[in-house]
Amino acid sequence: MTDEPISPRIDVRELTLAYGAVKVLDTLTLPVERGKITVLAGPNGCGKSTLLRAIRRLHAANGGQILLDEMDISRLKSRDLARRIGLLAQSPSAPEDMTVEELVRLGRYPYQSMLQPWSRDDARAVEAALAGTGVVHLRGRNLGSLSGGQLQRAWIAMVLAQETDVICFDEPINHLDMAHQIECLEFVRALNVEHGRTVVLVLHDLNLAARYADKLVFVKAGAVVASGSPSELMTETLIEAVFGVQSMVITDPVHQRPLCIPIRNAAQAAE
Amino acid sequence: MSALTMTATTMRAPAMIGLIAAALVLLALAGVGFGSTWIPLQDVVGVFLGGGERTQSLIVLQFRLPRVVAAALGGGAIAVAGYLLQKVTRNSLASPDILGVVDGAALGVVIFLAGLSDESNALTTSIAYQPLAAGIGAATATALVFLLSGRQASSAIRLLLFGIAVAAVAKALTLVLMLIGPIYRTAQATRWIAGAVNEVNWSEIQVTAIALLPAMLLVLLVARKLAPTDLDETSARGVGLELPIFRIGIFILAAALTAIAVAFVGAIGFVGLMAPHLARMTVGRNATAAIIASFLFGALMLIGADLVVRVLFAPLEVPAGTVTAIIGTPYFLFLLMRKQSHDG
Repeated sequence: MTDEPISPRIDVRELTLAYGAVKVLDTLTLPVERGKITVLAGPNGCGKSTLLRAIRRLHAANGGQILLDEMDISRLKSRDLARRIGLLAQSPSAPEDMTVEELVRLGRYPYQSMLQPWSRDDARAVEAALAGTGVVHLRGRNLGSLSGGQLQRAWIAMVLAQETDVICFDEPINHLDMAHQIECLEFVRALNVEHGRTVVLVLHDLNLAARYADKLVFVKAGAVVASGSPSELMTETLIEAVFGVQSMVITDPVHQRPLCIPIRNAAQAAE
Repeated sequence: MSALTMTATTMRAPAMIGLIAAALVLLALAGVGFGSTWIPLQDVVGVFLGGGERTQSLIVLQFRLPRVVAAALGGGAIAVAGYLLQKVTRNSLASPDILGVVDGAALGVVIFLAGLSDESNALTTSIAYQPLAAGIGAATATALVFLLSGRQASSAIRLLLFGIAVAAVAKALTLVLMLIGPIYRTAQATRWIAGAVNEVNWSEIQVTAIALLPAMLLVLLVARKLAPTDLDETSARGVGLELPIFRIGIFILAAALTAIAVAFVGAIGFVGLMAPHLARMTVGRNATAAIIASFLFGALMLIGADLVVRVLFAPLEVPAGTVTAIIGTPYFLFLLMRKQSHDG
């Protein structure tokens, strides 16, 4: 469709990252394609959240590098990086008496400086973010008075106001009920489809991951085990190898995506 | 509707600051007027304008005004330090007194006085170094508390426990030095143990003001950067605030402000805890407004405390810090109990 050469938006190259003596990521390589939804999945403690945080440069690499549009992120200023990669934390927190609008305005922080006070552009971005997440009517409400779903939308609005090309979500549906999980992920998909944002998601629910991912990445013990389309990755052998679960994979009759039905823990089955 | 509420909130802060400033001026005038002889307010104003009788002018300019100005600068500086610490630790109980910074600074001064006085108890060096000694004490206490609390420095209780411990040790060492020290220092003892403004002179105020001016300018410059510290660490860094480095900078600034205050008004307790709370309640979240309001409230509280001891205990010289402690301790306990019922 376009004649541009297809270089990845983010290119993680042989990234090694350790907390003290514990190696969390070991020479991990992963290209993140531009304009796509990439979902990282894997067992607890596999390093997927750490990888996401490393992409946002919240952890310094011990080896290897991460390129954003072919530029090493360690050379970017924190303000510039914040204008290009947004991150919604796993359990974000803000004072209960902060209003939705005050929270969303914080998304414009990387655009402000001593010489650049609040601008018309900032106001426009905040309005767009409030409208885009459907929280305009909640703008004056305190965060403490919101329901879980409303609160999550306020936080997404904050990240949207940052107007970054890349948005990372660290387990965004963890504390939400089923209806709000779907609402949240549909919203993330709309961001990607309608606004062309590159999205990187960490998800625990493998079936939701398969449903929303353009590209699924299985991470285990700090390395990428496999990556590809959901139909390539959602196989009984691969799921057993990565998650240690015997399962049956069928096709979801509604969305025509692979659906995993876990049967038993593989380790127990071997006994 | 939203436009209306926005203007209402943006107008509120300057109006409140104006009100607090007016109250401060009134209290300061009362602070100058009150004493062993009452000087009517019109005479006080007269002296300021260059008139008044000789004795009145001597009392006002040499005895009473230094007290009031020292209380204003010291109370204000320590309150701003409290605001910064509470903001950057996201902990409303963090303040230079609770975290041991105040007593650390006082200990620094006492060691300085003990080490650099000759047999006749005169300082062998300039008093301009006194804030530096306080600064070293304050920085040591701050570093100690945060090193001891380790990675969970933002978790309230750990930070407070180590802060209270460091404060207790510093206070005990100060007491020991006062008890074994010569009489000159013991006469000033109340200042380093409880905080007092009764013996402050103009040269000390000059040093305080010269140190305070650049520190406050820096604080007001940094105020614009403070907003994301309301969020959790990941989110704050996500919007581009390099929190680990920024936090250290703020700690240094808070320690410096505390040191400047403590160097001459002594170990004033609880102003650094209470004034920022009053500021946030009245002017809201905006950091610049809250910093100005904190300064004004801190000044107001210490001038008020000094006035109370002069009115209630004259002719005894009771240190003003005892009043702030008597009001502050129950307030601190109240906050602590409320916090525990929240956490539990």
